Amino acid sequence: MHEFPIVELGGFNIDISTWGAIIISAIITFLLAVLSVRKLSVENPSRMQNFLEWVVEFVHNTIASTMPLEKVKRYISLGMTLIMFIFISNLLGLPFGIVFDVHEEIGWLGVTAEKLAEHGGHMHVALWKSPTADLAVTAGLAITVIFLVHFLGLKENTKHYIKHYIEPFPIFLPLNIIKEISKPVTLALRLYANIFAGEVLISTILMLGVYGVPFLAAWQGFSIFVGAIQAFLFTILTMVYISQSTIHHDEDAVH
Amino acid sequence: MDFVWESTVFAIVAFLILYWLLNKYAFGPLFSIMEQRRKLIQEQMSTAETSRKAAETSMEEQKAALEQARKEAYAIIEQARTTSTKQADEIVQSAKNEANRLKDDALKDIVSEKNKAIAALRSEVGGISVKIASKIIEKQVDEKAQEELVDQYLKEVGSK
Repeated sequence: MHEFPIVELGGFNIDISTWGAIIISAIITFLLAVLSVRKLSVENPSRMQNFLEWVVEFVHNTIASTMPLEKVKRYISLGMTLIMFIFISNLLGLPFGIVFDVHEEIGWLGVTAEKLAEHGGHMHVALWKSPTADLAVTAGLAITVIFLVHFLGLKENTKHYIKHYIEPFPIFLPLNIIKEISKPVTLALRLYANIFAGEVLISTILMLGVYGVPFLAAWQGFSIFVGAIQAFLFTILTMVYISQSTIHHDEDAVH
Repeated sequence: MDFVWESTVFAIVAFLILYWLLNKYAFGPLFSIMEQRRKLIQEQMSTAETSRKAAETSMEEQKAALEQARKEAYAIIEQARTTSTKQADEIVQSAKNEANRLKDDALKDIVSEKNKAIAALRSEVGGISVKIASKIIEKQVDEKAQEELVDQYLKEVGSK
């Protein structure tokens, strides 16, 4: 398999391919959004504006399916950022890859003599991938979201948020804690595993050479689908978690 | 594949910066535009509603005006009809009266003419009978009878 270049800089390990992929994804996302809103018009929206408005409508409906309508507005930006960034990240690794065959020590790519020796004198260094194919990145996204979920829960729904850990009985506390821990873990792992598996399969198909072209085409098409599904899933799950922690359904009235 | 925690931190930072930038430069303006459009549409809808109502009212007014005009025309025709009938009646009546008057006049004339004729005839007959009588009397009256006649005339005159 490919190695990803890791550079040591002032005591930190910097994964150049991941950092680059994050930056490129973010820039594409930002440019796409900014180009869409370049000539905003109330009565005569451009094609790009129509597209972005469609995304807004889509995200709005998605969020509205998880929480009351009047609370949706404040989370649209978050949902939009999540779905656009993750979708573009998922697609980033699909079209091509940049792989070096390295035989010598290259300091700035993090190819040290020890690593070379480990791989028997030469190694493949990949520079291009989906940022979401890195567990560290999906973990970052999941941590951000889960932090937001618990923060909003504590801030806006304090009593019921704390109470829900010991519901229906105090003995359920460990189970509830496991549930809360599993949320970010599943979020991060699901996204990472789907995208990483897609890229692994792509590099595997590439080994087939010319005969792999139809498989590659089919799998890349499917990967686009998977990327869209995963972006959507991440977004809607985020909203579901936020909804669970912040919105108190008046159960006392029901009982 | 190692888990590089620096990448996690970088991902969080990058995501937060992206969120902030998008919110400021893309979504904010877009949402305000969409809100504006929503308001515009609402406004247009209410305008359409008002103009529809106005059209309905004016339609109603026009209908009422038309109805009014129709009624008035009908009334005018009706009035003209009654007036003409009345006038015709009057004319007929006056003609009848005139005819009656003329007839009466004629009758009166006839009666008076007849009376005149009778009177004239009577005086004529009287004169003639006197003449006849005097002729007869000239031949047949003797002294004695003449006296008696004179007396009788005198008596008549006296009693008158």
